[in-house]
Amino acid sequence: MRLVALTRVFARRAGGDAATLVLSVVAFAVVTLCTTVVTGGAFAFFTFTGPNASTYRILALLALILLVIPLASLGGAAARLAARRRDTRLSSLRLLGASAGLVSALTVVESTAVALAGAVVGAAASLLALPLFGLLHFDGRALGGAIWPPFWVFFAVIGAVALLSAVSATIGLRSVVLTPLGVRTRVVGARVRWIRVVIGAVVVIGAYVALSALNLIGGIGGMILIYAVLLGCFAAVLSVLGAVGPVVLRMFGRRWLKRAARPARLIAARTVLDDVKAAWRQVGALSSVSFVAVFAGVGVALTGSDSTSSVARLLAADIRTGVVLTLIMSFAMVACAIGVNQAAAILDRRALYVSLDRVGMPVGVMDAARRRAVMGPLLVVTIGSAVTAAIVMFPLTGYALLVKPLAVGIIAGCLALGIALVWAGLAATRPVLTRVLATGMPDPA
Amino acid sequence: MQNLIEARSLFKDFGPTRALRGVDLAVAAGESVAIMGPSGSGKTTLLHCLAGIETPGAGQVLFDRLGEVVDVAALSDRRRSELRRTAFGFVFQQGLLLPELTAGENVALPLLLLGRPRTDAEAEAARLLTLLGIGDKAGARIGELSGGQQQRVAIARAQAAQPSVVFADEPTGALDSVTSAEVMTALLASTVGSGRALIVVTHDAGVAARCDRTLHMADGVIVEAPARVGEAS
Repeated sequence: MRLVALTRVFARRAGGDAATLVLSVVAFAVVTLCTTVVTGGAFAFFTFTGPNASTYRILALLALILLVIPLASLGGAAARLAARRRDTRLSSLRLLGASAGLVSALTVVESTAVALAGAVVGAAASLLALPLFGLLHFDGRALGGAIWPPFWVFFAVIGAVALLSAVSATIGLRSVVLTPLGVRTRVVGARVRWIRVVIGAVVVIGAYVALSALNLIGGIGGMILIYAVLLGCFAAVLSVLGAVGPVVLRMFGRRWLKRAARPARLIAARTVLDDVKAAWRQVGALSSVSFVAVFAGVGVALTGSDSTSSVARLLAADIRTGVVLTLIMSFAMVACAIGVNQAAAILDRRALYVSLDRVGMPVGVMDAARRRAVMGPLLVVTIGSAVTAAIVMFPLTGYALLVKPLAVGIIAGCLALGIALVWAGLAATRPVLTRVLATGMPDPA
Repeated sequence: MQNLIEARSLFKDFGPTRALRGVDLAVAAGESVAIMGPSGSGKTTLLHCLAGIETPGAGQVLFDRLGEVVDVAALSDRRRSELRRTAFGFVFQQGLLLPELTAGENVALPLLLLGRPRTDAEAEAARLLTLLGIGDKAGARIGELSGGQQQRVAIARAQAAQPSVVFADEPTGALDSVTSAEVMTALLASTVGSGRALIVVTHDAGVAARCDRTLHMADGVIVEAPARVGEAS
């Protein structure tokens, strides 16, 4: 009963924290909207019949796998933001004698309620968005009504988003020290090891050798072995990106630190180095997407579109559309996640930002430091992964550039658009910073 | 005695609450002034108005900037920010240093903001930290330092741009009595000892006793203001 009563009191007093509350709800709404649309798309592909039906299903599953990473990243960011806004009041409750269990339960209930509200809004928005996605053409016709998933999917997605928030809030609470004297969330970032780079290099070389010997492999084991090798190389290189990413970011971070002459650059470099894994978590989802975009883009440019078979040409065009869609959706989700993460970080560091303003640091410098700390790793990850894919596909990449520059240009343009989208997501959080500075901190006297 | 900074009839309202009710105050170069009073008496608001963090509803804050007297309250937000960066130093209750940066980088930050080359700025930071007895901590992260060491870093940061006035808001509020005395010694030596003015808001009578003058505030007015040393009637 105490839990219910306290939750009601907290809910009524949320007015002063309205901006963060709205941001949390919007973030969960975007997660729900994206999940519903992606699930609807996958269902649509499973209704396809004809010679390429199984290929479409495999491609739909691949796109789903790729989109799960940025989706989880956005969901996690939304859940963390929902939990963070409670920190101060939770530590006050501890001071008043509430047990750690009660405080934890309160956090989980509140975060889940916010997630539920956002999920319902997102599901409602998807009712408007799905007809628009239904206009997309695949397999020679518009997706149309096929993109509408069964009705139970909407409820399942709402439930899953609420569950994700509850789990994330519980995990988040375990990572903070919730004492009566306050909430401490800072942890020392785990170390990343150089051995990852060595293993990564070996795997990339192995994948390159295997891909170069595809003809030989085909001769030994036929098409099934070729598919197995292709998927194996794909999975191996993706896992290498995840393992090597933080090490590479640390390497770049050190270089940025050494060359930083201006305050914003210095702070940005130190922010990246302070917790390389956190920097990677923020943008890492784009590594696989960027890699696949170049990998598939080059492959499609050189194969199906010149085929004499109309079915093959159609499949190639559809793959290109799918790649572009996956790329844009991933970037959109990462942009949202970064926006949410940044808003949460500003609120977390409210006292510090206010103090920096008081000592005369221009808001432009604070903003530039935040922007660089995100855009630096983002560019390294996006461009690095694209270059890795280009190297893996090396002879073909150069050939595709020569014979199909437009197809390669479309992929490059999508990457640039995605980067601009993230930049816009970052810029959208500047008002949070200026509002924090304008509000200042309550002073004791 | 020549005034370095002077408040004339300062009024400040926060909504229906009147935080300052016609406060007058003058502080000279090389002078240390403590402002005491109960919570809500207006002492932090007064400090913020003097430092250009807040603008008063009425009244003037006159600051002698290298012979040119400027009304801080009448400056634009950007000019006040520039003034805080170049002419004022600040020490807060809880250091409020950038945790990602090392101690040396935190101290060098004001100089970098003024456009000084990084090597120069870091050399000056190392010198200031050495003067405050923590030169060996220049490369340490803020989280690796004790509360007292963090306050010394904050004091060094406040000195970096060679300000005329240092404002300290409860600089020892989070420290034990021994560390508090050490930090206050460091603060006085690096400010008043170098000809700067120091204005401290504090609840600690021990801290106030070490300043040249102590002003007491209540309900937005100074209720007790002893004359300056050398000006007593």
